[in-house]
Amino acid sequence: MSKDNNINITINDQPVSVPKGTLVVEAAKQIGIEIPVFCYHEKLGPFGCCRMCLVEVEKMPKLTTACTQTVMPDMVVKTESPKVVKAQQGVLEFTLLNHPLDCPVCDKGGECPLQDNTFKFGPGTTRMEFDRANQDKATPLSPVITIDRERCIACQRCTRYSDIIEQEQALVMLNRGFNNEVNTFNDEPYTTKYSGNVIDICPVGALTNTEFRFKARTWDLNNSATLCAHCGCNCNMTLASRTNKFMRVETRPNDLVDDGWICDKARFGYDFIESDNRIIEAISLVGGERKAVNTFDAAIQVAESLKKIADEHGPKSIGFIGSPFGTNEELYLYHKLFRLELRTNNLDHKTYSDTPGLPVDHYDFLNIETANLVLLIGSDSAEELPILDLRIKKAVTHKGVKLAILNDQKTDLDKVADLSLKYDVGLDGIALAALANSLATELGIPAVEVSSSDESLTGIAVDQMKKMSELIRTATKVCVVYNPASLTGNSIFMLKHLLGVINKIPTMECGAIPAAPFTNSVGAMDMGILPDYYPGGVSISDSDKVQKIWGDSAFLDAKGFSALEMIDKAESGELKALLVYRSNPVVDFPEGKRIEAVLKNLPLLVVHDMMKTETSALADIVLPSNGPGYDEGTTTNIGGRVQYRKRGLNTTNSPDWKIISKMINSLSEKPIEYLTSFSVTEELSKMVPGYNEISKKSIKKEGKTREKIEYINGSTPEIQKIDSSGKGLRLRIATQLFSKDKVLDASSPLAHHFLPPTLCLHESDALKLDLFNGDQAVLTANGIDVGVTVEVSDRCNPGAVVVPRVSDDQGLLRLASSGSVSWVEVRKG
Amino acid sequence: MQILFKNIDMKGLANIDIYEKQGGYQSLKKAFAKKPEEVIEIVKVSGLRGRGGAGFPAGLKWSFLAKDVFPRYLACNADESEPGTCKDRELLEKNPHLLIEGIVATCYACQIETAYIYFRGEFQHASDLMDKAIEEAHKKGYLGKNIMGSGLDLDLYTHLGAGAYICGEESALLNSLEGRRGEPRLKPPFPAVEGLYGKPTVINNVETLCAVPWIVNEGGEKYAAIGTEKSKGTKLVSVSGHVKKPGNYEIVLGMPVREIIFDLAGGIRNDNRLKAFIPGGSSVPMLTADKVDVGYDYESLQEAGSMLGSGALIVMDHTVNVVEVTLRLAYFYMHESCGKCTPCREGTRWMWQILGKIQTGEGVGAQVDKLLDICDNMSFKCFCPLGDAAVGPVASSIKCFRSDYDELIKKLEGDKVAT
Repeated sequence: MSKDNNINITINDQPVSVPKGTLVVEAAKQIGIEIPVFCYHEKLGPFGCCRMCLVEVEKMPKLTTACTQTVMPDMVVKTESPKVVKAQQGVLEFTLLNHPLDCPVCDKGGECPLQDNTFKFGPGTTRMEFDRANQDKATPLSPVITIDRERCIACQRCTRYSDIIEQEQALVMLNRGFNNEVNTFNDEPYTTKYSGNVIDICPVGALTNTEFRFKARTWDLNNSATLCAHCGCNCNMTLASRTNKFMRVETRPNDLVDDGWICDKARFGYDFIESDNRIIEAISLVGGERKAVNTFDAAIQVAESLKKIADEHGPKSIGFIGSPFGTNEELYLYHKLFRLELRTNNLDHKTYSDTPGLPVDHYDFLNIETANLVLLIGSDSAEELPILDLRIKKAVTHKGVKLAILNDQKTDLDKVADLSLKYDVGLDGIALAALANSLATELGIPAVEVSSSDESLTGIAVDQMKKMSELIRTATKVCVVYNPASLTGNSIFMLKHLLGVINKIPTMECGAIPAAPFTNSVGAMDMGILPDYYPGGVSISDSDKVQKIWGDSAFLDAKGFSALEMIDKAESGELKALLVYRSNPVVDFPEGKRIEAVLKNLPLLVVHDMMKTETSALADIVLPSNGPGYDEGTTTNIGGRVQYRKRGLNTTNSPDWKIISKMINSLSEKPIEYLTSFSVTEELSKMVPGYNEISKKSIKKEGKTREKIEYINGSTPEIQKIDSSGKGLRLRIATQLFSKDKVLDASSPLAHHFLPPTLCLHESDALKLDLFNGDQAVLTANGIDVGVTVEVSDRCNPGAVVVPRVSDDQGLLRLASSGSVSWVEVRKG
Repeated sequence: MQILFKNIDMKGLANIDIYEKQGGYQSLKKAFAKKPEEVIEIVKVSGLRGRGGAGFPAGLKWSFLAKDVFPRYLACNADESEPGTCKDRELLEKNPHLLIEGIVATCYACQIETAYIYFRGEFQHASDLMDKAIEEAHKKGYLGKNIMGSGLDLDLYTHLGAGAYICGEESALLNSLEGRRGEPRLKPPFPAVEGLYGKPTVINNVETLCAVPWIVNEGGEKYAAIGTEKSKGTKLVSVSGHVKKPGNYEIVLGMPVREIIFDLAGGIRNDNRLKAFIPGGSSVPMLTADKVDVGYDYESLQEAGSMLGSGALIVMDHTVNVVEVTLRLAYFYMHESCGKCTPCREGTRWMWQILGKIQTGEGVGAQVDKLLDICDNMSFKCFCPLGDAAVGPVASSIKCFRSDYDELIKKLEGDKVAT
C-alpha cells in the first residue's frame, strides 16, 4: 500500500503513519509504545475480551480497546493518561482476583505475560479479601497437554486458535460467567495434530506441556533457534535444553515458513534425540564380530574400501543411497565423495521418480495465500506436511483462495475444497494427462496420446474433469502443490507437462511447490543426490556445464543407477558395495524382504546413521551420524527456502560433515579442511547453481529462498501402460504423521496417536470379499502376509485399497513392489 | 390510548379468524401498496423507538441495512429476560398474530425473506402458541410464497434459547441463533451490516414490531402525535413490587410515574410509604421516592438519572432493605454474566461477595467505597452493556441510600460488640 493511503494518528503525542485498517495496538508497536494485551494475538485477530488494552481516544466518550479499534484519520490516542492507568490497574486487579499465587512453581514463570503486565501496569496490591477460587491443579487435556484451570484467565486465545487456525473447534469454552472453562466436548481428549500451539499462546501458565512440567525454570534454559527436522516444511522452532538435556520445543514464528505454528510432531516428537537407539560410535565387523572403533579410522577404512572395489570392479560397482533427511552440507559432501573421488553416478535418495527444476516458478508458502487457486495433487497435507495444511486452510477459509484437489484418496482438506476428484490408485498418469489435454487443445499444445478407453479408466467422470480444467482456466494465479512421492511410475513427468501447459494459459501466473513429505528432499535433489543430475539441476550428460563447474576431469561417461536399480544390481552381483546414509531401505523401500537378503549378501555395506535400524543391523561398518538436535547445517524446504538448522544439544561426536570430509580427504589429491559447517555452505554456494546467494549472513533469522533450479525440458511424455498383471487390488500406502517408527517409538508421548493396522476398503470390494467393518483381514503380496482390521470406506475408488502406514514393525512396504503399481491380495483372516 | 393492548383480553384473539375480524392483517394491504422504502419512511416519521431497552429509532435502524446485500434476516427478540419485565410475554401469548403482522410488514419494508423469533428458553408455551399462529398465517397466505400477491416470500421460524440472559443482547442472540456460544460479538460490524450468518440483519423487540401494524394503518404522523416531543407513542409498562395491582399497563409516553404507581397500579400495598423505584428493569439505576413525579419517557427518566430501559417499573416501599435488594440483583448479574470479559466476569462475583459480607454483618465501612470503586472499574469498560447493567443497581443504591449501608454496617458492628 502506498504512503498516500496511510492514516496519520498520534499516540502519546508521537505521530505515526500506518496503513488503513491497522489496529491501534499494532500502530503503537511501530513507535515503541507498548499497550498491554492478553486476549489479542496477531494471528487470531481482534477479540477484545480481556479489556487489558483500554486506551483513551480523544472525542470518544468511553475508553476503547486498542486491539479492536482500527486507526481513524487524525485520531489522538493516549495510553498513559490517568484514566487509562486507572483502567489498566482495575482490569489487572480483576484478572488477578482469583489467579493463584503459584508463580514460584509455575512453568510460565519468567516468560509470563500476566507476570510482565502486572509488573509494568499492575496495581501493586490487591483488595481481594475472599478466598481465591480453587480448582483442580492438573487436569490432562490430552497425554501431552495439562491444564491448570486456576490459572486460566479465560482470554480464549486457545479456543479461538482451535476455531480459527486449526479449524477443528476441538477446544471450546464451556459453562458461563465465573464458572466458564476451557474444555473439550464431552471431556474427550484434545488430540488434534496441532494442539501444542495452545501452550505457546497461553498468556498464563494454564496450558502446560505435560513433558516439561516442573522440569526447569525458563530462565535456566539454553534455547537454540533451530528448525524442525521432520517433514518438508522446516518449521522454525526453539529447542530448549538444560545441562545438555532436552527440555522442550516451542514455536519460533517465521511468517514465510510456518506462520508461527508447529505441529505436535515437532513439539512432542523429539524424544528420539535422547533415545538409547542412537548410534554413538563407529562399529566395524571384524572377523564376524562387531567392535567399536575410532570413527575417523572407520571413515578412512570405508573410503579406502570403496576405492579399492571401484578400482577392481569399476565405479559402477559401488553406490550411495542418501537421504532426504540429511543437511545440504552433508549431502553436498557425499556428492563430492562419490562423483569426484569415487567417480560414480550411482547416487540416489528416493524410491520414486523425480527431477530437479520446474517448468514454472518454484513457489513459497506465501504464494498459497496470494494465489486464487491452489491445485493440490496427490498430497495428504494434514498427514504429510501439517503446517502446509494449516496454510492451505487459512488461504481457503480466510483469504478466499479456491482449492481443487486431485488425489487417489480422500483427505481432510476435501471438506474445504471447491472441487475434489479421486482418480483410481495407480492411474495418476492418465488423470494428469487428461487434465493437461483438456487445457492443451485450445492453447495449441500437442496433446498427450490417451485413448478414450484409457481415460475412462481414471475413475473421474469427464464432466468432473472439465470442471477442474474450468477452475484452472478461470484462475489468474495457480499454485500447484504436489507430492512427487505419491505419484507412480513416470507420472512426475506428466505432472511437469501439466505445469507447463497451465503456464501457457494467457495471463496465467503459475508456480508449484514440490511437497514431498521429507525434511530436505528439495535439498537432496539440489545437491545432486540423483543418478542423472549433478548439483543444481545440471544434467550428467551436459559435459560442458559439468566440466565448467567441477573441472575438466569431472565428467563421467556412465549414467548412474537409481536407488531401486542399485538394489537390483546388488542382487545380480554387479554392485559390490553400498554406502547407505540415514536411510533404512529394509523398511522404507518396497520389497524389503528381498532387500534384506540382497544387503546381507553384499560384499560391503556401510551404514552412516543416527539411529540403529534394520539396515544398520546388516552393515559391515556403521558410522555414527549426529542427526537433528546435534547436527547443524542448512536444509531447503519444499518452498525452496534455505534455512539454518542449529545445534540444540552438545555432543563430543564428530559432526557428519567432518566424517565425510575425512573420507574425501583420504582419497583426494587436494584435501580441504573445513572449519565449520558454514565453510561447506560457503563452498557449495559457489558450486551449486541456485545457491549463489546462500551464506551464513543471508540465511540468518528468516532464511533465504534459493534461486530457481534450471528445468530441462523433456519431450511430451508418453502414458505408461498400467501393470495390470497383478492379482487382487491395487495397493496405496498412506503416510501417517504419527507412525510408530525410529522417530516416535512406543514410549513417545504421542503414542496415543498411533493407529491400529487398518485397511480402507471400498464397499463394492468389501462385498465381493465378504468383508465387513471391523473384520480381520490378511494382505498378501511378495509372499508376505500383513494383518489388518477392515474399515469399509470411500477413501479410494473401487479396485484398490488404502493402507495407512502405522508402524515400522508392520512391514507394510514389503508388500509393495518396485514397479509402478503394487498389487495385493486381500482375504479374511 | 390502547394500541398494543387493544382487545388484549378478548377471548380467542390468538385465533386468526378472530384476529382478522378485529381488523387484523389489514396493515399488510396498505404496506404492500407502497414501496418498501416508503414503509420505512412511515416508521421513521412515527418516531417509534426500540422497546427492548436501548430506545434506538426503529426506522433509522432499518435504513442502516447494508445496501444491496442479500439475503437479509430479521430476528425478533423475544428473549424477555430483564428482571421485572413481562410485557412481551403477554403480547406473545395473547396476540401472536399482531407480532406476525408486524414482522411481515417489517420484512416487506426491509426486503427480508427469512425471519426468526428468538424466545427465551422458558417461553415454551408462548413458542408453542406462536408455532400454531404461524401455521394459521401460512394457511391464510400471510406467510410463505408471494404473500397477498405482493411478491414477498417470507418464512418465519421460532427458536427457543437455552436460558441465558445475555442472549437478549442482540449480538449474543445472533450467536445463539446460529448455534454458537451465547456471547456478545464485537461491534462494529453492526448486525445491520454483518449479522446473522454474516448477513445484514434487523433485530427488534416484540413490542417494537407489534407497534408497526398500527403505524402502517394509521400513518406515521398519527403515531408521532402521541407522547412527548421525543418519546412517541405508547409503551407497555410492567409494574411489579409493592403495588396493589401489579401488571402490564399501556401508557402514553410521558405519563408521570406517580400516575402509573398510584392510579394504574392502585398505589402502594398497605398504603405504605414509597421508598424507591427502578423505572426500566433491573439494569437501570434506581430512583428515590422524591422523583415520583418524573414523566415516564426516555428523556425525562434520563434527566432524573435513570433510564426507561425495557419498561419494567419495580416499586419498593419503606419496609425494603435496599442492601438485600442489591445483593439479590448482584447475584443475578453474577449468575448471568457470560464470562467473556474480565471486568464483568470477575467484578460481578466480587461485588456479590462484598455485598453478602455487608448483608451478613461482616462488613466494614471502607467496603462501600471499595464497591463504588469496583463499579467505576467496571463502568464502560466491559465488552457489552451487561457489565454496565450490573453496576446500575449497586452504584445507584449506594448513591441513593448510602445511609442504609452505613447504618447496616454500624448496627451489625454494634450487635457484634453487644454479643
